[in-house]
Amino acid sequence: MKRQTLEAYNRTELKKGASGRLRRDGWIPAVIYGAHEPKSISVPQNEFEKKFHSVSENTIITLELGKEKHDVLVKDYQEDTIRGFTTHIDFFEIEKGKTLRTNIPVHVEGTPAGVKEGGLLEERLHEIEVECVPADIPEYFHLNVENLNIGDTIHVEDLDVPKGVKVLSLPEQVIVTVTTQKEELPEEGEEVEGEEALEGEEAEGEGEGEEGAEE
Amino acid sequence: MLSPKRTKFRKQHRGKMDGVANRGNKISFGDYGLIALEPRWITARQIEAARIAMTRHIKRGGKVWIRIFPDKPYTQKPAETRQGKGKGNPEGWVAVVKTGAVMFEMSGVKRELAQEAMKLASSKLPIRTKFISRRDVE
Repeated sequence: MKRQTLEAYNRTELKKGASGRLRRDGWIPAVIYGAHEPKSISVPQNEFEKKFHSVSENTIITLELGKEKHDVLVKDYQEDTIRGFTTHIDFFEIEKGKTLRTNIPVHVEGTPAGVKEGGLLEERLHEIEVECVPADIPEYFHLNVENLNIGDTIHVEDLDVPKGVKVLSLPEQVIVTVTTQKEELPEEGEEVEGEEALEGEEAEGEGEGEEGAEE
Repeated sequence: MLSPKRTKFRKQHRGKMDGVANRGNKISFGDYGLIALEPRWITARQIEAARIAMTRHIKRGGKVWIRIFPDKPYTQKPAETRQGKGKGNPEGWVAVVKTGAVMFEMSGVKRELAQEAMKLASSKLPIRTKFISRRDVE
């Protein structure tokens, strides 16, 4: 299992204005909750973005808050997709030996035999919800899809689950499937197909008084 | 082209597009997406043109999702008509797109190919757009 460390600082000024100032100065307002009383903190934006891009929400992060150290998971985060940065993070503090729920990413490996024959690999589920103690959290579920032919499917129940990990996602949920591809429309000349619906339905009611009413 | 099968009323008010999209603003199906950076009406023709540009570029081997649907009729008065005498005739369908809405998604292709395809699609749209990807996709 991956581990990361991240420095964090206590946040004394709360509310919207102070949080905005923090963001402008290159910090992300955050909160830790779980094992102890909730605490408002802030983490450096650059460092968090760099580390969090390569890890997932099941990575244990050790937050260095002055002399204190907290083992946390990223429970939730808010981002500004338009400007492309994280605006707030919820850290969930974990306790040794206490079971928790988290989402584990699925890593698909290989090119399915069905794709070589012209099929399409569809990934329907990117994460699996599990329950386990922090020490048992798997980094990811590895899925080899090389033997999949067109029409074949891998379900949640087909996963190799490590000991101590309980899968909470429904066993009949589809993770990946290889489907036949719809043939794309003929090359040129189909662009002129449209505007049927509107023209058709409008033609009935119109034409009594509106169109050429005035000169 | 996309259009509703049936509608309760033929004409609608124009409405407003203030603020940012609070729904449909995340990638939900694919690995890559194209988000709107401006609010605007996107017509069914523009959506279709963007879809064709995208799917032609990726050829076989990818899947495309269209996350917006043109369910709003727009009207136009005939040319050289005086003002008044009621609202114009329905001429087409538009999707109301707010800033931050994910308009298209794609999966099953490499990042570079997806980016190139989305760029072609973007050139068919009347707004500035941005290419985004899921956090765990390199």
